Amino acid sequence: MVYWILLQKSFMRNMQYKVAHLINNAASAIFGFVFIAIWVGVLQGKEHESPYSALDMTYYIAAVQCILWLSGFLTAGLNIQNGVRNGAISLELVRPTNFFLYVTSQEAGRLLYNFFFRSIPIGLVFALTVGFYVPQHLPTYLILCISIFLAVIISINLHYLVGISACWTTEIAWAHFVNFTLLVGLGGQLVPIDLLPAPLSFITPYLPFAGAIYYPVMVFLEKASSEVLFIQLFWAIFLTLINLWLTEKARHKLEIQGG
Amino acid sequence: MNLYIKLISGSLRSRMQYKMNFLVSSLSYGLIMAVDFVLLAAILQRFDDVKGWNLYEVGLLYGISSVAITLYRVFCVEVHNFERYMIEGEFDSLLIRPVSPLSLLLTRNLDLSRIGGTIQGILILVISIIGLNIKNVELFLLLIYLPISILSGVIICFSLGLLTATIAFWTQRIKDFQTFTLYAPFNAANYPMNIYPGWLKIIFFTVIPVGFMNYTPILFLLNKGGTLWNLALPPAVAFVFLFLSLRFWHFGIRHYHSTGS
Repeated sequence: MVYWILLQKSFMRNMQYKVAHLINNAASAIFGFVFIAIWVGVLQGKEHESPYSALDMTYYIAAVQCILWLSGFLTAGLNIQNGVRNGAISLELVRPTNFFLYVTSQEAGRLLYNFFFRSIPIGLVFALTVGFYVPQHLPTYLILCISIFLAVIISINLHYLVGISACWTTEIAWAHFVNFTLLVGLGGQLVPIDLLPAPLSFITPYLPFAGAIYYPVMVFLEKASSEVLFIQLFWAIFLTLINLWLTEKARHKLEIQGG
Repeated sequence: MNLYIKLISGSLRSRMQYKMNFLVSSLSYGLIMAVDFVLLAAILQRFDDVKGWNLYEVGLLYGISSVAITLYRVFCVEVHNFERYMIEGEFDSLLIRPVSPLSLLLTRNLDLSRIGGTIQGILILVISIIGLNIKNVELFLLLIYLPISILSGVIICFSLGLLTATIAFWTQRIKDFQTFTLYAPFNAANYPMNIYPGWLKIIFFTVIPVGFMNYTPILFLLNKGGTLWNLALPPAVAFVFLFLSLRFWHFGIRHYHSTGS
């Protein structure tokens, strides 16, 4: 199947930059150490006031740093904006393939690469230094796989949304900035969203950003029930439908303009 | 200097052709940094302090570090994106000009969209100074010293940026190194150095000396320790580091081999 081949090719293309990525992994681990140090410093002597202990937060940040490479650090606009700028999108949209799957399968290949060459090495660094949580119950692993899968779909869709908006706006740098900020800020990268001040702590659990980072991490730490999967599933389906609709709109717009 | 102003104003005019884009990107870049600080404020509002540093005290560190790195990103765009010159072979064209390659790089372009981050950093500094509620001599000393601290930070950041750019003479690509030499350390410098484990502290006070930019002087200025030397160290370290990075840059140029294509 063509999308599977695209996924494989994207994986192989990323393999060319293994060494550079390993250096970047070291930096990513340092970011993790900084965030862990902040939490350990903050919670010192105050653990009784917090639902999380210093060790909990160490595990939380370590897991976040790993999952960020699967659902946080995606290609800006999935590069759709480049095709809009140089006109290549007119050809890509008339190809006998589904444009949405054509773009997202390539990103999926990159994320699969990230899992093996970013998430796992970074996780190992934490495991050897500050410690890394290991789920204790067997069903957690199954729920975790589903949760991560849905997180990836949500995040790919959020980035696709930014990318396809280029058909109307051309420039997407600012939209990517905003999307990324909301993703890491309201997704719980530094602060678990239940610790955010009200009203943010009431709203954020129902936003797609939590589904991309916070929920898979909480499932991994066995601090969330499997019910959170329904929130993730809702956003995965909703965003996919929105994007398929927008892709049709974009195609229609191109046809009117004549490419 | 005249040449510098002419080149910069040319770059500024070209940027201002896209006013809307400039405004929106500045605002969104400022927003990113603001959200980061709001999250920190959320933590410290709930837990009061991080190893003895309250929100406003951390705000001083955060503001200095933010302003320093964003000013570097505004004025040193081409040094920061230097790998382009190696990958696309454009460095040769800089070598045949009657001005030094570094001067050309520094005057070629401005990234004004980063100004939003600088403004946001200054706002955090203002809020923090008001929140600290310090008076008379202490306040006067802090206000006098802030520009020195920021300037030291910009010089340290530029030196790190230049050192990283020089690596491109051998490795061509440097984007992944920058995360290690610039983004991670400056992120770490947003917070007090006493929260970090020993090995990280050693890194931030030696090979990547971001700790000197804000932590060392603020420690003394907020009566948290240290001596008058804490105020002399930041500019001294910045200039020594600048000297070393310039030496390394010239060493890199001497060893540069064009692809000849």
